[in-house]
Amino acid sequence: MFYRNSIGPAVLAAVFVAAIADVRAQVEMKYPDWSGQWLRTGGIQWDPTKPLGRGQQAPLTPEYQAIFEASLADQAVGGAGNDARYSCFPVGMPRLMSVIFPMEFILSPKITYVLFENNMPRRIYTDGRSWPSDPEPTFAGYSIGKWIDEDGDSRFDVLEVETRYMKGPRTFEGTGLPLHKDNQTVVKERIHLDKSNADVLHDQITTIDNALILPWTVTKKFRRERKPSWLENDCSEDNHHVAIGKENYFLSADGYLMPTKKGQMPPDLRYFSNR
Amino acid sequence: MRRQLSALAGWAFVATSGAALAHHSFAMFDQENPIELQGVVKEFKFTSPHTFIIIETKQQDGSTQLWSLEGGAPSALVRDGWSSKTLKPGDELQLTIEPLRSGAPGGSWSVGKTKFKDGRPIMVTP
Repeated sequence: MFYRNSIGPAVLAAVFVAAIADVRAQVEMKYPDWSGQWLRTGGIQWDPTKPLGRGQQAPLTPEYQAIFEASLADQAVGGAGNDARYSCFPVGMPRLMSVIFPMEFILSPKITYVLFENNMPRRIYTDGRSWPSDPEPTFAGYSIGKWIDEDGDSRFDVLEVETRYMKGPRTFEGTGLPLHKDNQTVVKERIHLDKSNADVLHDQITTIDNALILPWTVTKKFRRERKPSWLENDCSEDNHHVAIGKENYFLSADGYLMPTKKGQMPPDLRYFSNR
Repeated sequence: MRRQLSALAGWAFVATSGAALAHHSFAMFDQENPIELQGVVKEFKFTSPHTFIIIETKQQDGSTQLWSLEGGAPSALVRDGWSSKTLKPGDELQLTIEPLRSGAPGGSWSVGKTKFKDGRPIMVTP
């Protein structure tokens, strides 16, 4: 009796395992090997070939250049400027691809996941879908990708990605280099392995945004760690930077607020009746 | 096997540490005007998003002061050979830190600018 009842599940399990093996074989045959841990090769600035801040020579409109200058001026005296990341605020696209901490790719025929050690993942849909009619915006945006076989060897080499529908505020880097508050950003990427070094990955990123007078293209380069160690990096665990209103404060060793700037006013405590 | 961070590796880390290892701006710390601190570790917080050394220093009038010093992320330190056990309460350190611009007892620390009070480098395990 036991023998007869166990045949069905056994056959089902065999079919399931075969199906998984088939998908895995498809992925291995057609898709590039992007496994392992990818670490940035440059600094934390947006264009890795240029210095942070004004050195980026970002093609900003006059209005957004003024916003950027105000951010730099605030940071020069200890403020956070436009960069809210100190309070664990999400960075969003395209800044996610600065990969401050390592990233990992999980490839499958219908979707590619980009996992970050310290940020929410990106999902890049490669199932041939069209843009949704009215999606809820997110910091990482909505990404649709297309695999390309550039050299005709029946294996994909390049993942072309377009990302829209982002939420803000967002900046390119920690200096507060801004994107437009209308959040109409479109980000186009070409991600591929280096042709002469399979442990190097390139991401050519073009940002089209109303804060810019023209599309801004930069290329990020990542190096592969094949035997990676991964740790948790959750910003909410023990962040000592405190955002209250437009001010940022720093927690002391004994848990009190300290000023970050000279002459900074304490927070407004009007709703505390026992002060 | 234990190894000592070579001066070169130390400088390489310094070059990529501090603001470069931060996930946010470190503008609140005065990077142009670092200061020297000596004191006793009260706590080494191997926490995200950034590690902290809580250190007690002695002031000129004999009183003590607690400093809260922010460093690299734990994952970055681990990749450099550090662990949550590298420092322990009671360790006596000398550090070159970048202080809060406000003058309050806080700042940022980095691996390459931290050693034991007697000048010994911090030993790390690869």
